[in-house]
Parts: sequence; C-alpha cells; structure tokens
Amino acid sequence: MENILSVKGIKKSFGGVHALKGVDLEIKKGETHCLAGENGCGKSTIIKIISGFYKPDEGTVEVEGKDYPVMTPTDAIRAGIQVIYQDFSIFPNLTVIENLAFNQVLATGKKMVNKKEFRKIAEDAIAKINFDVDLNALVETLPVADKQLIAISRALLDNAKLIIMDEPTTALTKKEVRRLFEIIEDLKKNGITILFVSHKLDEVFEISDSITILRNGENVISCSTSEMTEEKFAFYMTGRNFDNKELVENKKTEHGEVVLETVNLSAEGYENISFKLHKGEILGITGQLGSGRTELSLSLFGLNKPTSGKIIIEGNKVNIKDVTTAEKLGIALVPEDRLTEGLFLSQSIIRNITVTRMDALSNKIGILNSKDVVRESAKWVEELGVATKNHEFPVGTLSGGNQQKVVLARWLANNPKVLILNGPTVGVDIGAKYDIHKLLRKLASEGMAIIVVSDDTAEVVATCDSAIVMHGGHVKGILENEDLNEAKLAEAAV
Amino acid sequence: MNTLKNKMNKYVKQTEFWVFLIILVLSLIIQGRSGAFFANNNLVDIARSMICPSIYAICALLAFVSTGPDVSFPLIAALSSYISIMIAYKTNFDGPWFVIFLVGMVFGALMGALNGFIIVKYKFPSLIVTLGTSSIFSGILLGAFEAERMDLPETLQRFGKLTLLAVKNEKTGLGSSLPMTFLILVVLYIIAYLILNYTLVGRGVYAIGGDEISAERAGFSVGKIRFGIFVINGMIAAIAGLSYSVMSMRYLPTEYAGGEMVVIAAIILGGTRLTGGVGTLKGCILGTLLLTMVTNSLILVGISVYWQKVFIGGIIIIGTAIPALQTYLNKKKKEVKAGEAA
Repeated sequence: MENILSVKGIKKSFGGVHALKGVDLEIKKGETHCLAGENGCGKSTIIKIISGFYKPDEGTVEVEGKDYPVMTPTDAIRAGIQVIYQDFSIFPNLTVIENLAFNQVLATGKKMVNKKEFRKIAEDAIAKINFDVDLNALVETLPVADKQLIAISRALLDNAKLIIMDEPTTALTKKEVRRLFEIIEDLKKNGITILFVSHKLDEVFEISDSITILRNGENVISCSTSEMTEEKFAFYMTGRNFDNKELVENKKTEHGEVVLETVNLSAEGYENISFKLHKGEILGITGQLGSGRTELSLSLFGLNKPTSGKIIIEGNKVNIKDVTTAEKLGIALVPEDRLTEGLFLSQSIIRNITVTRMDALSNKIGILNSKDVVRESAKWVEELGVATKNHEFPVGTLSGGNQQKVVLARWLANNPKVLILNGPTVGVDIGAKYDIHKLLRKLASEGMAIIVVSDDTAEVVATCDSAIVMHGGHVKGILENEDLNEAKLAEAAV
Repeated sequence: MNTLKNKMNKYVKQTEFWVFLIILVLSLIIQGRSGAFFANNNLVDIARSMICPSIYAICALLAFVSTGPDVSFPLIAALSSYISIMIAYKTNFDGPWFVIFLVGMVFGALMGALNGFIIVKYKFPSLIVTLGTSSIFSGILLGAFEAERMDLPETLQRFGKLTLLAVKNEKTGLGSSLPMTFLILVVLYIIAYLILNYTLVGRGVYAIGGDEISAERAGFSVGKIRFGIFVINGMIAAIAGLSYSVMSMRYLPTEYAGGEMVVIAAIILGGTRLTGGVGTLKGCILGTLLLTMVTNSLILVGISVYWQKVFIGGIIIIGTAIPALQTYLNKKKKEVKAGEAA
C-alpha cells in the first residue's frame, strides 16, 4: 500500500536545543498509526512540522508522493492534513458556525463571508459525526466535550485525508473515549488515515494498526501493532525496563496498628462507609466516576462534611471540619488535578515544595530562613528524583510526572501519618508512574499509611495491599491479598 | 413565542442592551427634570459632539478586539493633521478638501505602520508600544515642528462651513447645526461594519483576538492582519484629527492629547472585552453616546461640570462591572446545573 505521508530525516532545534534529531515517519493510506513517546520526546514538534506550523531545519515532507519543500499551514490543509490539537484550536469568542467553517473557507482562498455557505459547511461538518449543537451559540458557552466534538467535526470536513489527533483522550471520560474510537473506526471505513498521538498503552493497542515510537527526538522503532507487546512498548518509550513483580513482591499482609478508621460514615456522594487503615498499609479506593470514591477521600481531608458516622484517628474520634484540622491531624491529600488544585505553576520548584512548611522554616517574627528553604527543597528534589536542572525553575516547565512529584514532595515535607492520593498518576507517563509507585511502597515500608484513590485498575493491583471497590456511593466489595487482581476488580466494579 | 423569548434572552445577555437601557433612563430623567433633552438643538449638539470620539472609537475597537489597547491615535491625529495642513500651506494648495484628508491619511498610515511593525515583529505589548510612539509623535509635533494654533487653509474652512442640517429651537431661540463631517462618520462606520462582518479579514480580526494560535492554524495571516489594523488605525486617526480641526475651524495642537482614555472607556462600556476578541461597532456608538450625553446634558439638570466627572467615573465603573457580573452569574448558573447533573 502506498504512503499517504512520508517524512524523512527531520531535524529541528530551538535555540540550540535539538528537539528532533532526524526523525522518519511513514504512514500508509487508510491505517490508524500511533505515534508514541514520553513527554518531551518531540511528538508535538513533528506534528507541527507536518501541519506546516514549524519549518524543519533539515529533512523532507511528502504527502501522497508530492514533496513539500516549504509547507505552510494552508498547504497542509489543502493537502488534506487536519490536526486536532489538545487545546482543540477553537475561537471561544465566535459562533459554532464560524469555528467550523473558517478552515475550509480560508483554504479556498475566498475573501468574502457568505453566511449561507458558512452555515452549510457547519451543518455538513456536524452531520458527519451526528453531533447535535446550536450552531449559533458562542463556543465559550459550551461544555468541554462539545468543544472537542467541534474540533473533530471540523477536521472531518470533505477534503481531510489524514487526521492527526494529539492526545485526544486526555480530557475525555471513558464513555467519551468509546465514542471517539467508534468515530475513528467509521473514519477508517471511509478511507481516512489517522495519526493517533498518545502514550496511553491500552488505547494504543486497541485502536492502532501500526506504531512509531520516539524518544529524545529520535526514532526508536516502527512496526505493526501485532508485533508489539506491552513490555516492549514501555521499554521503547522510556529506555528502561519495568518490573511490577518487584512492587507486588514488596506487598505486605501484616500491618501495624490502626491509624485511621471510619464507622458508618455518610456524606454527600456516599453512604455507610466503614474501613480500617493500618500503619504501613496501602489501601486502594476504586470505582467508576460517580461511585463516591473522590467524595470519600475529600471527607477525610475536611472538604466534604460528613452527615453521620465517625472518623477515628489513632483511637480518638475526630471532627475534621476543615483542611487546617486535617493537616494538624497528620493527614495529607494530593489532589487529582494537580495543575489547578495543587501547584503554583509560575512559581519556582523551591517555593512550591516549601509552601506548606512556611511556619517551620521561618523564625519567630515570620521571616523565612532562605538557607533552610533551599536545603529542604533540595532534599526532596533529590529524594523523589525530580528531573530538573535548577530548582529555581517554575514548576510549569516540568513534565506531568515531575509536577506530580513536586506535589508529593510538598505534602511529604509535612511528614504526614496518612497520605491520600487522588489519581496519583493521571496524565503521567510510564517512567514517572513507575517511580511514583515505587516511592509509595517505600513510604509505606517506612510506616506511612497510604490511601490511593484511582480508577486505574492496573495501578491499584500493582500498588495496593487491599482495595475497597465502590459503586453508587456504597462499598461493593473489599479485595485483599491474592483476591486483589484486575479480573476481580473489574467484576466488583460493575 | 419561544423564539421571541430566546431572542429576548440573547439581547439581555448583551452589554449593548444594558447600555441602551441606561441611555434611555438617563435621557428620560434629564428630559423630565429640564424638559430640554429632546429639544432639536440638544439632539443635534450631541450628534455633533459624538463625531470625533466615535471615529476614534473605531481605532480603539480594532486594536482592543485584535491585539490590545492602542493609545496613540490622538497623537497620530494631531501630528498627521499638522503635517497635511502645513503641506497644504507650503504648496498653496486650493483644490478639494479631501486631498488634504488623503495626505493626512498617508502620514497617519506611516505612523500606524511604525506601531504595527514593532508590535508584530517584536511581539511587544501594544499598550507599551503605543504609549512610546505617542510620546515620540508628541515630541516631534511640539518640539521639532513647534506646532502652534493656526488657521486652516481656505479649502478646509469652506468644508467646515458646510452644514448637513441646521435647527433652531422655537422656545429658547438656540440654534445648532450638524457639520458635513457627520457624513464621514457615517461612511466610516458603514465601511467598518461591512469589512468586520462580511469579509474574512474582518472575521480574522475577531479570530486572532479570540485565539491567536488557533487563528494561525486555521490559516489567517495573523501578522498581516495585525499590521494592517494599526496602519488603518493611523489612517482613521488622521481622518478624526482633520475632522476635529475642520469642526473647530482652527488647528489646535494641544487639544488632542488625553482623548484616548474617554474613548477607551466608551468602548469598554459598549461591551468591548479588555482581553480581546469581543466588541461591536454598535457598542462603540452606544458607549460614546452615553458618555457624550453625560458631558453634554447633565448641565441641563443643573449638575455642575465637576460633578460630571464623578458621574462619568461612576458610569465607567458600573458599565464595566456589568460584563463581569454577567460572567459571574453565568458561572454560578453552570455550577448549579453541574451540581444537578451529578
């Protein structure tokens, strides 16, 4: 089969940093090709080159056998290349019609606005995926899922031959991912080629026909999906071997005394939850979205007031009325959305790590001892292996996994008795995920009691000693020891 | 019935609607207290006072929607008017008035191009760039050229004496006339309306204000559009500057500076969003009308000139608070909805 896209020897550097060091990418017509790699491997850069947004320093881009020495965004659209960016590339201040029609009208080189034509283009676009939306609505008033559907239907306009989806599932729920995959299958039937950019293992294996993996701006491997295994995939992406056996072997069945206990605890989102958490134990709380797992974890941190029942910490009944109380009791919570809830992205790593330790690091009149601050921060950066050259850099410059480590460091700096992590590895790449899991096990072996709230069953199996499965606000089952496996978890969650 | 309700809902959500409401209430109050607001001479006076600020408002709108604040238009107006008038004097020009306007527009375009070049090429914030160029233009005008008050060339004087409409109030005997420059305003607004709504470049102005990167990806020439906007702003400023001297029958170099703030306040009142992407010509006119009414007509109800400033300040704050309040309420509504769904 002939190639729709053939990219050879692409090099690109930014201010002396080599983002791409000679990348090749061959995509056959009609296939779903996956481009994988960890954050910072050059995935986004190569997409921007294919779509004409960046000019490569070296290398060639061929679309359907035609060479494009200088590709502009308009050229790319004319050649049938459409990109669905992670930010959807929409105009929040304009109507759905204009958002849908601009690309196509601009590609034809028209100068005037024909409202009828705009509307027709928009209607055609949404009809392709049976998307129902008020065409005259301003896009900023629509929910996120609709914004993505606008981006997708726009990309599906007539002349699209190759659709590049940049991590399309990041903001989607499982149900929406299913819908997206159905759409991709439909497109494939219509002969449209998809370049699916992702680092999520299960998705890649489910949807793609062939895989290209990049690491540090270089090709690692290109092969058909059937020749790839999960272990190889993780190895090619990170250059490291991961062995979950080590994690599993370190699990403990014997624990210390009870640190935290709930008795018939009820609040908004869940009812009658009783469990015991021991010293040195990692307890999983799992269940689907809306099962009450998040609400339960928030109650333990003073953010969702219980309506009845008891919380007992080290034998004493406590009333966790707010976050300050929770912190005083030695409870720490690492939030799910680390970007909006946990970090000051524009501030330095040092400040982010030490922000909850201000009292301990300052003298009587409240002036910070800057040497102590730096020492404290350096200690955690080293301990958790945060990959950075300088901890004066803003946290926003770090990858997702490293940002998550900074959040962890902040809470660990307070030396909590109970550490609650909500979706600790959501959006984190494989290498950092493994590091975080190993770290949790190490903390537990040092006596910390840990609660992992997650819907990632593989994660729960790999890290937790026991797991509570929730559904509709109730406990569906508690799995322990050898009962804690993916099959039983899936069974219990429904 | 339902569609009518939807339409009403849509209107109520627009800032322009609220400004219109304020204008209506305020005019009725002034009329009730003084009986002179709807007098023909007062209405013509207001229309006359609106001409220059409304033309400036187009500059402010284009800049705000696409890029950010432009505060240089009053000084571009002053300097380009001065140069074109001086050229007319030096060449003993006595042809049609619009030739002087065209010469002014060329110089205005050059000054705007300087703004556009720096903003597009070096990606500097437009506020800083236009503040800087304003200062440069002011220095050239008052320092290098030593511009002073002067009479206008014959052809401009003749143009200034033409009136579109003259009225006389029967009761008070006060008269007022609407100059031909009003037609310039009307023509500019029609052109601007057509370009902004019916050409892709015009929609591009909104698109790059909404999301610059998306606009570039969609295929808009972001740099060209932005540069073009500042060139056009220079030209429009030149037209406003010459219209101002035509209406006052003299060239007054020091009367221009400082005009930008009221104009910007007016368009923000009219619903232009400070963060870009949103703003209409309708809003420009309504915002300017409201502020002109306050400056012109409060005196009719016996409010002193000093209190006018307090009034203007109050209106600006309330006016800009309305969109913020709407965003807040919408967010609340959404949260309630999300809560119900969960």
